[in-house]
Amino acid sequence: MAAGKRAALPLVLTASDLLDGDVVFYAGAGWARGLDEAAVAADEAQAAQFEAILAETEAKGDPVAPYLMTVRIDADGALVPGHVRERIRSRGPTIRTDLGPQARQERQHVSV
Amino acid sequence: MYRYDEFDERVVRQRVAQFREQVGRRIDGSLTEEEFLPLRLMNGLYLQLHAYMLRVAIPYGTLDSRQMRQLALIADRYDRGYGHFTTRQNIQYNWPRLRDAPDILEMLADVQMHCIQTSGNCIRNVTADHFAGVAADEVEDPRPTAELIRQWSTLHPEFSFLPRKFKIAVTGSAEDRAAVAVHDIGIRIVRNAAGEVGYRIIVGGGLGRTPMIGKTVREFLPKDELLAYLEAIMRVYNLEGRRDNKFKARVKILVHELGAEAFIARVEEEYARLDGPSLNVDPAELARIAAYFAPPAFEALPEGSAVLDQAAARDPDLARFVRVNLYPHKMPGYTAVTVSLKPIGGPPGDATSDQMRALADIAERFSLDELRVTHIQNIVLPHVKLDEVPQVWAALVEAGLASANAGLVTDIIACPGMDYCSLATARSIPIAQEIAKRFADPDRQQLVGPLGIKISGCINACGHHHVGHIGILGLDKAGIENYQITLGGDPGNEASLGERLGPGIDAEQVPDAIERIVDTYLELRHADGESFIDTVRRVGLDPFKPVLQPKEPARAAA
Amino acid sequence: MPLLDRNGWKPESWARDAAAGAAIVPFDQVEAVLGARRPGQRIGVDLPNDVHPNALLPWQDGLDFVAIAFPRFNDGRGFSLGKMLREQGFAGTLRASGWIIPDQFAFALHCGFDEVEISEAQAQRQPIDQWLQAPALIGETYQDTQDGMISIFKRRRAAAEAA
Repeated sequence: MAAGKRAALPLVLTASDLLDGDVVFYAGAGWARGLDEAAVAADEAQAAQFEAILAETEAKGDPVAPYLMTVRIDADGALVPGHVRERIRSRGPTIRTDLGPQARQERQHVSV
Repeated sequence: MYRYDEFDERVVRQRVAQFREQVGRRIDGSLTEEEFLPLRLMNGLYLQLHAYMLRVAIPYGTLDSRQMRQLALIADRYDRGYGHFTTRQNIQYNWPRLRDAPDILEMLADVQMHCIQTSGNCIRNVTADHFAGVAADEVEDPRPTAELIRQWSTLHPEFSFLPRKFKIAVTGSAEDRAAVAVHDIGIRIVRNAAGEVGYRIIVGGGLGRTPMIGKTVREFLPKDELLAYLEAIMRVYNLEGRRDNKFKARVKILVHELGAEAFIARVEEEYARLDGPSLNVDPAELARIAAYFAPPAFEALPEGSAVLDQAAARDPDLARFVRVNLYPHKMPGYTAVTVSLKPIGGPPGDATSDQMRALADIAERFSLDELRVTHIQNIVLPHVKLDEVPQVWAALVEAGLASANAGLVTDIIACPGMDYCSLATARSIPIAQEIAKRFADPDRQQLVGPLGIKISGCINACGHHHVGHIGILGLDKAGIENYQITLGGDPGNEASLGERLGPGIDAEQVPDAIERIVDTYLELRHADGESFIDTVRRVGLDPFKPVLQPKEPARAAA
Repeated sequence: MPLLDRNGWKPESWARDAAAGAAIVPFDQVEAVLGARRPGQRIGVDLPNDVHPNALLPWQDGLDFVAIAFPRFNDGRGFSLGKMLREQGFAGTLRASGWIIPDQFAFALHCGFDEVEISEAQAQRQPIDQWLQAPALIGETYQDTQDGMISIFKRRRAAAEAA
């Protein structure tokens, strides 16, 4: 994301897995593959904590390319990225719904 | 086709081993992500929106069936069963893992392929006319020149950390199908008054956020001076190209800021001090490379084909395919077949691994084992006997590859856009899909005639929108995807940059606007079948401007 | 700062002090320092990477040493500068100074550099074996190099003529 102003609240911390390239989200204890598992910073104190983790992650270089991303919480309590780019990134290509996290989620639905 | 000798083979194998070792040092922390980034980029590996992306070089777009089958196998083994052919005549995989990348490079090396310098601030994969060795108007096949440049630029100690990426294209034909005017260096193979073959060197063209048409810096460079002259250009650029602002770092900005004359003077000064004889290759070495591109063993065939004529008379779909997707071959009885990767509603340039294998089979059986990737994101079977076109067509139909739309309104160039690309500001592929659906009727496409729509999902212009007859640029307007339309661009001999038609519009308005542009053209064009671009050049943009007005009032009145 | 060449770490024999016996001075002082050179004193210069090599021509015969700055590893001007200095006849020691990484060591040697000066932190992260092994990873070049490699183009011809 562009440098400068921090993403607005509420926000999550996201990055890409070094070895696999998968989109990952900071989940409190470690990093998760699904946005639904992401830890949410809802206030300034938590956001400051996320910024510290972001800096640590950058220094460590694993996962890679971390940044903070604004989300909203919909009526069902699900996290929805604020920007269309982030929605696509968290789900998968809109032209290939058989690929990316969206496919994983669909498969899970089928198995349930 | 070029074949590696022991030297080429060793360089590529060593490069694979080096990358495996570099990945190891990235993982153990010896290399930071910042340090590793250009190293992986110079091996074709990007980090994109959903995953890594691997860009494989297809030098000057030429490959054989064995290589195409290997690309299919890689797609199945390490990716998601498909690949994307690009405007740089490369192929990209959208889902590889870093941990697998060295093994993929090894598989590529097994078929004399690599990912060297498909990204990074270095001299990129060299492109050339996709009808090289086919076109009748060719002074000389551009591929030996492109191959020479490929080798010279490979792991160049001086030019691997340039201010920015550097793209070179070569054409040997009167008609420019390689868009040489919009490359960092464009090379036209020409003949001088004495009948000698040499090069016209064009520098400083480019698209991106500051589109420019290149300037001729040498009208005629003797053929055996090429590498020293390129070395002089690269040196001036490496030393003086801007490094303070990545948006101003391409050589086009240097040429523009210095002025063409001052730039030429710098290059000539540097050229004079270089040891040309030591840098240029021996004519025997040029001849060795050129021999690989000698015309294949064509059969002596009559002009035309009764077999094809009769088959086409029986089958209107074949007749349409023949009218639209065949390009005249310099040899009697042969043709070059364009295989469109633009099925109505499909992502432009994508092919499944099964389709790649089908193409390999068809090329092996019917096209002297050769395939070409075009910068329009299609595949060409360059050497097909006219008599065998019906069999080729039937095989393409079977593989879902028989779209008869080469050069027509649905033969759309689109970058991956925000569905894949981390730089994109808007989606490109869904726009291409929706436009294509509007023009799905083959009769309507043929009525409209040649029309190139090119779509980029951000200002970097990978979809070449500036040189689209109709260009579409996707931007982010306060979090909403917004599209600007340009008219009048052209990549060819009379290269021109499109002009903006008006304010940007929303995604759902784009197909309507394009349809209305095309309808306006049909009303305005001369009865002799004046092409879209000629009409725009004649009438200007004004008659097209109303198409961006909202349709609502008309609807309300209806 | 840690210093290495193709044989390993090496001790520093130069000082960034105009009074030293082997003195490295800023480029803008080179004229004055050369003018006041003591008998037997060796003079070197720190060359920023935005100076054209032509600017060094008047002084280069009096210089024993040039350190070309690499402010960032991905700023490749230094590679051209080093090669051009060699081409215009500079025969002293050529050093790449600043941030270059082991993966660029071969390029530096090919462009005529003798040695590399890096930060302590980098030396910690990238131990000497990584530097020594890196140039050997690619043993062929398509270019003639300043460290004596003959281009593949020429080696092919030589092989063809020998055959």
